[in-house]
Amino acid sequence: MRKSTGREKMWWAIITVFVLVYALFPVASIFATSFKAPSDLTSGEFLPNGWTTENYEQILVGSAQDLFLSSLWNSIGISLIATAIAVVLATLCAYAIARLDFPGKKLVLTTALAVSIFPVISIVTPLFNVWRTIGLYDTWLGLIIPYLSLTLPISIWTLTAFFKQIPWELEQAAQVDGATTWQAFRKAIVPLAAPGVFTTAIIAFFIAWNDFVYGISLTSTEAARPVPAALAFFTGASQFQAPTGAISAAAIIVTIPIVLLVLLFQRQIVSGLTQGAVKG
Amino acid sequence: MSHDAATDQKPGQHRKQKKYVSDRARAEKRLGWYLAGPAFVIMLMVTLYPILQAFFDSLYAFRLTAPDEREFIWFGNYITVLSDSVWWRDFGVTVLITIITVAVELVLGFALALVMNKAIKSLRGLLRTAILVPYGIITVVSAYAWFYAFDINSGYINSWFGWLPGIDQELNWFAEFWPSLFVIMASEIWKTTPFISLLLLAGLAQVPGELTEAAEVDGATWWERMRRVIIPNMKAAIMVAVLFRALDAFRIFDNVFIMTNGAHGTEVLSLLAYRTSITRLEIGLGSAISVLLFICVLIISFIAVKGFKVDLAGSQGGK
Amino acid sequence: MPTMPAGKPARKRITGAIFTMIASSLVLSGCGPAQADNTLTWYINPDNGGQAAIAEKCSAESGGEYRIETSLLPTDAAAQREQLARRLAAGDASLDIMSIDPPFIPELAEPGFLAPVPEDVAERTTKNVLEGALAGATWKDELVTVPFWANTQILWYRKSVAEAAGLDMSNPVTWKQVMDAAKEQDKYLGVQGAQAESMTVWVNSLIESSGGEILENPEAPADEMKLGLTSDAGRTAAEIIGTIGDEGLGGPGLATSTENDSMIQFQGDKGSFMVNYPFVWPATKAAVEAGTLEKSVLDDIGWALYPRTLDGEDTAPPLGGINLGVGAESDNVELAYKAIECIVQPENQATYFVTNGNPPSNTEAYEDPRVEEQFPMAPTIRDSLELAAPRPQTPYYNEISTGIQQTWTPPDEVEADTTPAESEDFIIAVLRGEKLL
Repeated sequence: MRKSTGREKMWWAIITVFVLVYALFPVASIFATSFKAPSDLTSGEFLPNGWTTENYEQILVGSAQDLFLSSLWNSIGISLIATAIAVVLATLCAYAIARLDFPGKKLVLTTALAVSIFPVISIVTPLFNVWRTIGLYDTWLGLIIPYLSLTLPISIWTLTAFFKQIPWELEQAAQVDGATTWQAFRKAIVPLAAPGVFTTAIIAFFIAWNDFVYGISLTSTEAARPVPAALAFFTGASQFQAPTGAISAAAIIVTIPIVLLVLLFQRQIVSGLTQGAVKG
Repeated sequence: MSHDAATDQKPGQHRKQKKYVSDRARAEKRLGWYLAGPAFVIMLMVTLYPILQAFFDSLYAFRLTAPDEREFIWFGNYITVLSDSVWWRDFGVTVLITIITVAVELVLGFALALVMNKAIKSLRGLLRTAILVPYGIITVVSAYAWFYAFDINSGYINSWFGWLPGIDQELNWFAEFWPSLFVIMASEIWKTTPFISLLLLAGLAQVPGELTEAAEVDGATWWERMRRVIIPNMKAAIMVAVLFRALDAFRIFDNVFIMTNGAHGTEVLSLLAYRTSITRLEIGLGSAISVLLFICVLIISFIAVKGFKVDLAGSQGGK
Repeated sequence: MPTMPAGKPARKRITGAIFTMIASSLVLSGCGPAQADNTLTWYINPDNGGQAAIAEKCSAESGGEYRIETSLLPTDAAAQREQLARRLAAGDASLDIMSIDPPFIPELAEPGFLAPVPEDVAERTTKNVLEGALAGATWKDELVTVPFWANTQILWYRKSVAEAAGLDMSNPVTWKQVMDAAKEQDKYLGVQGAQAESMTVWVNSLIESSGGEILENPEAPADEMKLGLTSDAGRTAAEIIGTIGDEGLGGPGLATSTENDSMIQFQGDKGSFMVNYPFVWPATKAAVEAGTLEKSVLDDIGWALYPRTLDGEDTAPPLGGINLGVGAESDNVELAYKAIECIVQPENQATYFVTNGNPPSNTEAYEDPRVEEQFPMAPTIRDSLELAAPRPQTPYYNEISTGIQQTWTPPDEVEADTTPAESEDFIIAVLRGEKLL
């Protein structure tokens, strides 16, 4: 390994600080805003003049409690279910693509690709019409299904890449030992594939958690409205007053799970996103 | 992997085996579709069906709050949309945002990728964690963060950067086209650069180390190495990253919706589609815009794949 | 075809797994707890908890006959309409009671989305109701909703500035006087210049105050509508808005200023005159109580009727508020109207005013002693409501309003010679389906 000189160290320190400021500043900005009192919002300063938790009180125990907590529950539930379904289906699909020989493989992959570049807004109107006819409008399932269009393609691609790196001799060994294809898959491969599946789940969860268009278009009550859509429903002390503080506080709360996941699993996420990406 | 995932062949040994055990091959085919089928069907269900429905709806003049006046008008909605300056203005804004954000992200993302690639071990985790925060954050949250920072009432940017020419306490960022667009793009760039930089990082890892070392021995400067060795070797990675980001930027919605809601000429195509079909409840007209937006995305992909020979199937994509 | 030994169990297990997944997500999909037959859902616009309190009170008073549950609509008026219209078009039976902004009522009434108001209910709930509020509740000469509360803008002013400018505020003032005073004192006017519903509110009031109207034949079909923007009244309106924009009288934030932004500016050092809703009063008092605003600012605030556009002509202040409608598909229409009768009682309206700052539509409620105690400007508000002019009542209100918002902003680009005509051509083309909005 090469030695780093003092000069190099200094450069790295500067670069690191620069990257940290770039990545974290907007988060710090809304964090500071979330602790400002309503009358402190117009101070023109970054930090609050007096730190107050009243915005958090408003959304967690105060007047916006029903609105926020129900949407938080919806966001968590819908995103987790959509992630779980996507990962299970994508695992099966990716296994088939990476491992089995069947006609139409390319079709499945191309479809996944096409779906991932699909303009969400194009399908929102027809979905809205269909959903209201069959009663899926404003339900969890009515959001879970379209979320699959966001989470499935990337899950399939990521997992296919993961599965291609698994030493399949193990499976063959298991098959020689008399296990069927399915048993071989379950006993020999699942434990090896689990880390990839887990990473895919995190990435899929981020995507479902991020959705806004489906959330505002396909819900209308607290029965299914997710957090990003609910932010537009906050209000100040009266309908004309700006809910800046409450929105900031809610924004920080929904960012906490993201930061935790990133802190705990940065290595996996990076390898998941770069895994088998492009090779020249 | 450098090979095409779809046409990937299994080890020859296994193929040979297959010849003899044709039962097994057939069963494998079936199992393949059993496993891949559900995901495939769901993907088609949530995209193909709605887009066909949108096309069907787009042939009608249909307003949700006037259900009795529904009327079949062939391509009338398309004529209305395409002959309207609003469509073309929004198209221009969308293309502008796409080009600028992708260009900036490419440079910034490349720099971040280099940093992550070269970083000494002790810093790697920290840098990656920091860069992943914007990647994971909700776009709407990013939009609010940037909006509140620049807003003339709740912001502090004006007082921080008052010394810059053109910025003072009275600058209302969201009252004019360019300043609002600047903040919208800043938020978009901040949130999506990590994605592009990770794709580039993967490409960077593929550049053969011997080549760069050889160039270094030959006395090539940093810039020459970059231009002659590194960039050509990761062209595929760059093209794929650019295409994916371009298609994603073309769909921009959240940031514009939160910050200006299209005021002062900042409307983009997705917002126009949303406002027409969801806000105005003009299902027919809105569906026509949706279909046209979809066609735009198809055209961009087609040009990229045919014109620039981007090998999408060999890469992993999506945001 | 030879069957693969592992084929069957595999298929079963996979199908089973998928089935379980879909079933479990269906169960989890929040279909909600089963509702008792006498539960009414009231879709409310966001407020400070006042509507929820009334819902509770009425539920208790009904002695178990019905129970009102509230469900929140978005903050933005246009977004509220969008949610309601979409649910109504879907034939949703849960829309028992709805808080509706008056301009959007015709659009919902025209296709029969609203259940007719029973005659006896109409009679009892319209007694002593202000004329403007009543007009907003009617479509094609029929009462289609029940007036709940009514809102209006009044002219708020800083006594010190008016005095320094030598303006006698006990007499009606004109826009010109107010603009001149602000300019002379080097202060900012509080108006709402953002591209939002508030712009239509402003334009409508200016045109109505000059004796014109935005829409001349509100009940006509979309392609036969006649607009009145190119009239003298429209010109006057454009002149006022354009001058305020051009000369920077509205302050640097004018092009994005909402009701809240205007208030913040008004409370600051540059505050002079402001047209705004009554929420300003409780909000300013709260800021003083919280210690973030000097009490002297509160003491310096005066109020008068919305400025006139023409000397000697009565002003036509903005009219807003909320009416209550019942969904045509509701399972409990009769019960819903019973509940509405309870909700709109003058006593509840007075309480709502005092706690949430939203003025009553019923004149009787203004007699309540609590009202004047909390809102010393209540008489001005009441007078303003008597004069107030509703925005165009048409099923195409959304198109007209959005068209105005797009053509009359930013204020500094509004020109008396061109803006009204451009705006009119644009809106007519949109109404005919020839242009996008």
